[in-house]
Amino acid sequence: MATPTPILDQFLGGVAELVQNRDGAKLQDFLQIEPPLSENYLRMIQELRGGYPAGGPQSDAGLLQRCEALVPRTKGGSSWTAFPTFMKLYFTFLRDVNTDNLLDTYNQLKGLLNQCVLALGDSQMGVVVLPTVLYLSKVLAKLAMGLDRRPELIAHILRMEGGADNDDSIEKVTLVEQSANVVREAFIKCLTDRTGTAGTHGKPEGKRVGIYLMANLCLKLLFQCGKLRNAEQMFASISAQSPPLAHFPAAQRVTYLYYLGRYLFSNNLFYPALIALQAAYDQCHRQALSQRQLILTYLIPCNIIMGRFPSGELLQRPEANGLVEKFEPLCRLIVRGDYIAFREHLSPNSPAAEWFSRKGILLTLRNRCEIMVWRSFCRKVFIHGGFHGDPQAQAQRGPPPYLYLQKLAVATRWLQSQHQQTKLTTYVNHATPNFHFYGSQIISESTDPDFVGLGSPDTPTARQLLEKYGDYLAPDGFFDEGGNWQHNVPGQLIGGNPGADYDGFELDPYADATEDGPEANKQSLLMDEIESILASLLTQGLMRGYLTHRNPRFAIPGARLRGALPTGFPNIWETISTREKEDPSVPGWVRPPPTTFGAPALGGSGGRVVNLSGARPVGVQ
Amino acid sequence: MSNSTPAQNKADPSEQPQQQQKPQVLEEDDEFEDFPVEDWPQEEAEQAAGSAANGGNEHLWEESWDDDDAAEDFSKQLKEELKKVEASH
Repeated sequence: MATPTPILDQFLGGVAELVQNRDGAKLQDFLQIEPPLSENYLRMIQELRGGYPAGGPQSDAGLLQRCEALVPRTKGGSSWTAFPTFMKLYFTFLRDVNTDNLLDTYNQLKGLLNQCVLALGDSQMGVVVLPTVLYLSKVLAKLAMGLDRRPELIAHILRMEGGADNDDSIEKVTLVEQSANVVREAFIKCLTDRTGTAGTHGKPEGKRVGIYLMANLCLKLLFQCGKLRNAEQMFASISAQSPPLAHFPAAQRVTYLYYLGRYLFSNNLFYPALIALQAAYDQCHRQALSQRQLILTYLIPCNIIMGRFPSGELLQRPEANGLVEKFEPLCRLIVRGDYIAFREHLSPNSPAAEWFSRKGILLTLRNRCEIMVWRSFCRKVFIHGGFHGDPQAQAQRGPPPYLYLQKLAVATRWLQSQHQQTKLTTYVNHATPNFHFYGSQIISESTDPDFVGLGSPDTPTARQLLEKYGDYLAPDGFFDEGGNWQHNVPGQLIGGNPGADYDGFELDPYADATEDGPEANKQSLLMDEIESILASLLTQGLMRGYLTHRNPRFAIPGARLRGALPTGFPNIWETISTREKEDPSVPGWVRPPPTTFGAPALGGSGGRVVNLSGARPVGVQ
Repeated sequence: MSNSTPAQNKADPSEQPQQQQKPQVLEEDDEFEDFPVEDWPQEEAEQAAGSAANGGNEHLWEESWDDDDAAEDFSKQLKEELKKVEASH
């Protein structure tokens, strides 16, 4: 141990001083790990390799001993033992890291961060390493996400280590998720710090200044690895224990509200999501275009689902560049009321669907917006085919405005025929049957994209099938009803003869038989569906009035004052937002207690602990 | 296994980057980047004078978008179709 280590000595002296002064920011600046490292660090690494070589008998113990001198000694020895261990790991990391094996690098870095989080846990000194925890977390997150995108960089290493790792019974935790778990530990240490005012009031002090820095990083990782569900506990603990978000810097607020909004959106809590995302948008720096664009990517669909479309002014803003061509056609289709065109626009084989799908909003838009398309459709049919009330009889007792549902059926069939024509002209072989006994009458699409081409002339021959799927169709044996193994004659199909006639055993998944002959049934099947769509619109408050089942009609009573259209087809946004405004709280967003001046504070405001599971999605009553 | 590791490690990364470039760009596009500054006053978040004067967000969103234009193609065709049916009854 005689090798002189002047730079290391100097470095340790510097660290000791920073610890004594509790200068966390400078300490982080000292503890560099990312290449390219400056000359001084490279020389220190040489000293480490010379004085404390990897695998040397006393190397690590010697290093630890030197690091123990870094922390102030109390009576019974150092109280902050986690820090010297962390420093020793820091030095061994610098000494041993081999970036040729990025998986090793990742694991070493994770170990280093883990130890730093342990040091963070100290109630007196922990806060000194907070900037370092954040720095290491960011480097780890960057590495994990990089490897997630470029799995080929470590695939060969994983393959080689596969032997030990091949147990399928254990759920594989990706590197990104592992990192999220470490970062979450740091988040918890920050949140539960008892310095200053505890709970959801007071300003953030001590480690609590790091709550949203750690939360945001953890959320980024959870979004990346698709484990959003793991975020629920985080939001719940923030609601219960964090100081108000407003006390934190703008960058942290905006980032947090963005992730919170996306989380709420993916849980179908559109109104709270809208408030969070709108706040993120409003507080985001106006020059931060890429962030503003991402916020809009979710804020716009949130609004569309609640019946509010982006205005021309919004779509002209620079951050909306590229979003116009995504959302404008969608809005136009909703206004138009052509449900088939709408479905086609968002179907998996539509060119528009890919982008929505990548953003994770395709299914939500498809499921939530179609009802608005139907409302537009009904509205148009009412305009052109409904009874609008007798102007003469207004003062007296005339019948209320109404629409025969038969007209909706006619319009639906017409719409189907329109689309069939375009289909016939574009792709010759895709003629879809106009009427089928089974399934929906309103959907003309018959073939699932996975099965496209199955009816084509090049249906594989039995021989081809056997060659390809023989191990399944004609295996060496099988288990019979009693669970006993039966040997099979080689090449014999165990499922029986494919030429067998099954016509007598038609499988009918639908309970109702056709009672009134094909024609009557055809009508009533479609009518049933139209009635249930209208009933759904009425239940959700997107249309107002009542249905009569015998002589099927949609009637709009009480229309004298405002007119049939505004009464029967109220404004969607008004309807939904009025309903949702009753509870303005946003789960996961801690707001300061309401001030008494101005409007009286509504029931569930800032700081309340909100149970995420209790909220109901938009459109459900 | 230790002997063959370094050689293989070095070979792989150099071969891969080019073919991977496209998806990488796509995904980075989806990431919420860190802000270059930590804090800013609310004025810097707001749009330039003109639109801010409008107050609130009302002008950002269209709440009334129902289409009452009977001359629009779809409405026109629908109207024709409904008329036809009426006449045939």
